[in-house]
Amino acid sequence: MKLGIIKEVFKNVFTKPMTLLFPFERLEIPERNRGEHSFDIDTCISCGACARICPNLALEMIEAPPEMKEKYPKTYPQIDIGKCCFCGLCEDTCPKGSIKLTTNVFLATFDKDDTVRSPMSWNK
Amino acid sequence: MMSAKDKQSKNKVVEEKLLEDLNSKLSASVQCQKTRRLFVLIDPDQLVDTCTKAYESGFEHLSTIAATDWLEEGKIELTYHLWSYSHNHLLTIKTKIDRKKPKISSINSIWGGNAETCERECHELFGVKFKGNLNLTPLFLEDWEGPPPFLKDFNWREYVKKEDYDQSNPREKVYFEVKK
Amino acid sequence: MTKINEQKVNSDFAMNFGPAHPGSGNFAIKVEMRGERVLKATADPGYLHRGFEKLMEYREPMQNSVLSDRVCVLEPLQWNLVHAEAVDYLMGYEIPERAKYIRVILAELSRIQSHFIWYAVLSLGTGFMTGFNISIGYRDYILDVLNLITGGRVYPAGYICPGGIRKDFPEKAENKILELLPKIDYMRKFMLKENPAWLSRFKEIGVLTKEEAIKFGATGPVLRGSGVAADVRRDDPYEIYDELEFDIPVMDEGDALARFNVGVQEIEESMKIITQAIERLPKGEVRTPTLKPIVKFQNAKGEIYIRNELSRGEGAFYMVATGQKTPYRVKIRGPSFTHMIPIVEHLLTGVDYADVPAIYWSLYQCPADVDR
Repeated sequence: MKLGIIKEVFKNVFTKPMTLLFPFERLEIPERNRGEHSFDIDTCISCGACARICPNLALEMIEAPPEMKEKYPKTYPQIDIGKCCFCGLCEDTCPKGSIKLTTNVFLATFDKDDTVRSPMSWNK
Repeated sequence: MMSAKDKQSKNKVVEEKLLEDLNSKLSASVQCQKTRRLFVLIDPDQLVDTCTKAYESGFEHLSTIAATDWLEEGKIELTYHLWSYSHNHLLTIKTKIDRKKPKISSINSIWGGNAETCERECHELFGVKFKGNLNLTPLFLEDWEGPPPFLKDFNWREYVKKEDYDQSNPREKVYFEVKK
Repeated sequence: MTKINEQKVNSDFAMNFGPAHPGSGNFAIKVEMRGERVLKATADPGYLHRGFEKLMEYREPMQNSVLSDRVCVLEPLQWNLVHAEAVDYLMGYEIPERAKYIRVILAELSRIQSHFIWYAVLSLGTGFMTGFNISIGYRDYILDVLNLITGGRVYPAGYICPGGIRKDFPEKAENKILELLPKIDYMRKFMLKENPAWLSRFKEIGVLTKEEAIKFGATGPVLRGSGVAADVRRDDPYEIYDELEFDIPVMDEGDALARFNVGVQEIEESMKIITQAIERLPKGEVRTPTLKPIVKFQNAKGEIYIRNELSRGEGAFYMVATGQKTPYRVKIRGPSFTHMIPIVEHLLTGVDYADVPAIYWSLYQCPADVDR
């Protein structure tokens, strides 16, 4: 019994730990991960399917600001990350593939208003 | 090993025999919805009688009691889902009671604590009174004084809009634009 | 609150077990004590009541399938499956063969990680921290694979949806799952033998006899630990379970250790199921191509009661459709509902207070599906 413990100790000294030293090494996040959204405003056709299916009403179709109105005359989705449940239904319904969920999972902000992303400032 | 077709036809024979058996034992017409799903419609005053007979014919497991509010009809439908470990069939006992005075006998004489807890839930969320169940204290909701919240004429969205949301808050404004 | 039921119990003092206890979940048990002995226990659920049944009446089936993960945090894929099956029946969907296999593989993976959590809370609650740490660590290997397949570590967000599944397996997912099995097996062996002194704490406490188990509506490992060989996967087969070979572990003792041992043996059976299903995994579609992301629920009429074997026992959906966009009524039957209210009250009456955590966690509790 005692020898068994010593064997276990030596085995564990030379094996890799189960945890990672986070800021220096990271777990690889798979492609499918449902993280922060990316939105391509140029392919958006303003159908509003994403806003209709969103279970939490996190998406809202808004108009572009006046200086960009000429280029983008229709309505485009604005997202509130604070309300989003990251289900990815908007990605599934989008007929043009404009909305995609990315592997970025670091979404904490200091200010509440920073969670709202207007269609112009979404990352592509 | 039996082929799938043989198995099916054998199952069918067993099912028909069980149906006949139940029909005579429960003295009500038991119908078949799909494989292993039977249901029977009864009057509310026959409930305890039917449940006792069902229990004696092998339906020992009370899976759950569900209430459905049929607003237009003015009735509350109670469905008792019983599973039999010996026959491997589910028997659903359905009964409709008046929506204004929802009252029915308790079946705690058969299933004890299990039935009592299910009935407590129905009482709290639908306001159904179970005669004979002494423990109808609130289960989930704390300090709730409004109407039973799961009834169809209680509009939940209106309630939270009034109580919790603020239309002037730009982040909550969107909840006021939803219809229905 | 409990006016009518307040019987005169000669107790010295009453105390609350939970809801702020680490590991008890959002659930409380009010125990009335005389010295070290529990005279009466009253379950106090409701700290996690989110009204899913009512909420689902306001949402469309696809949105509901996202909601259905949240019924229980620890077994979300299996709750997805129950919800999807209920909508499938009402809509009359034919599920592609490949989707059925993938559904079963994921449900079994979910069952294994849920059993790991069981071991974790059992050891956390009774002071065996090594068990907690190692179990949560090994669960993480499964979560990594779930992240690869469904896109979320814990919540698949309706990955198993009405009509099939949302996306096909990514490349090499089968290999990743097969690579997991040795790790799961190591953990299973660890659970069986470690630690004998700690495991002896569970012997002959919280005994639930066969008759009581049936009367109180116990299901799953709790029922099988009391000597009833009943499993929904076998008795009321869904998906492809009737084509697979697996055993149903049963123990006759009915005590806390028997319930836990049934759970450990179930991990082995789940591994068998996963290996068989991956071997036979056919090729083809995973969602009928004509189906759009939105389910047209207006076509559905009728009602159905779908039962599934979750890791905790029988989970069921009762769904009524009347040709509206949303279901007319949804009733969710959580397996812990009977375990956590009538059975726990029955088992805790008359035990030593030191045994309360051991009995409580041996019932494989999940407060989330009690309250819903």
